[in-house]
Amino acid sequence: MRVLAIVPAFNEERSIRSVVADLRRAAPAVDVCVVDDGSTDGTAEAARAAGVTLLSLPVNLGIGGAVQAGYRWARDRGYDVAVQVDGDGQHDVSFLPALIEEVAAGRADLVVGSRFSGPRVEGAFRSTWSRRAGIRYLSAVLRIRCGARVLDPTSGFRAAGRRTIELFARSYPPDYPEPESIAVAARAGLRIAELPVRMAERLHGESSIGLGRSFYYLVKVSMALVLLPTRLPPGEETA
Amino acid sequence: MRTDLIPLELQVVSIVVLAIFLLWVVRLVRTQRLSLRDSLVWVLTTLLATVVALFPGILVRAAHLFGFQLASNALFGAAVLYLAVNVLVNTVASSQNAARIRRLAQECASLRAELEAERAGRRSQDELSPDDGTPDPKP
Repeated sequence: MRVLAIVPAFNEERSIRSVVADLRRAAPAVDVCVVDDGSTDGTAEAARAAGVTLLSLPVNLGIGGAVQAGYRWARDRGYDVAVQVDGDGQHDVSFLPALIEEVAAGRADLVVGSRFSGPRVEGAFRSTWSRRAGIRYLSAVLRIRCGARVLDPTSGFRAAGRRTIELFARSYPPDYPEPESIAVAARAGLRIAELPVRMAERLHGESSIGLGRSFYYLVKVSMALVLLPTRLPPGEETA
Repeated sequence: MRTDLIPLELQVVSIVVLAIFLLWVVRLVRTQRLSLRDSLVWVLTTLLATVVALFPGILVRAAHLFGFQLASNALFGAAVLYLAVNVLVNTVASSQNAARIRRLAQECASLRAELEAERAGRRSQDELSPDDGTPDPKP
């Protein structure tokens, strides 16, 4: 069982080392692949120094393009499971083995680490009220549109099995990809599960999603979900 | 060619402007800033507009045919529609290009990683020193 951790990082020079170290401690058997999304700081050097596989994108593609680079690497290298962990240190990697196990045991093709399923964890970051409302709305749209029951569709802390790796390597939304990619997976008939995880607030840097962006996020993802193609076109995506 | 539909001055001005526009497009093609393929739509529409400028009667007849009260309204309508279609076609092309760039960047990153692993492997072999901890990405 070969597992790859995909760590997308854009200007995460200050946190990437500790994220990699935490990953190694929590899941020593997992290969780590940092995807440097055209960072302008020392992210690439920090990752190289940590001795992980570094996928260095020559231009900034955004989170979707970066994560997909990782999925393509996982597919081409024949990994059985790929886990996504953000490079900003928000994801508590002690939950990683549980996510991997769910996929490895064949209980699901895609497991989403959720802040909202399971009992409420003390001290865990659950985001602001308005964001939770947005997340609940996306969750409802996903359920109605493609029958996927996911309480935390914006979570970027996920584990993917072989079939999901193949699918995401072929087709992955370029921006604000998390909810839409769940829809893509559901449409492809993949089994989606959710496990409770803990997330922290950001250690460094700014969230990429401010107020105006939040609105764009909701509109864009809503449109994407409504316009979701019924079938995946053959071959690689073209637009 | 001379009709009472539009004043001679306007006719001359439009033809001159269209000629300049056409020369500009040709220049862009010759200096390879615009591909011949992409220039065709501009060349053809400019020629079409020139024909209409030379024979304004065509426009008047077409306007009546589609129920416009004034030929100028028909012209504005057609121009707006034409530009909208053009912009949409360009947006499609730009989306396709974005997808291609994404693919190329990903491929580039993955080739870079392979090359680095290869070099690191060769270096550690040359020096007969222990592995620097870079995991071998190959299965």
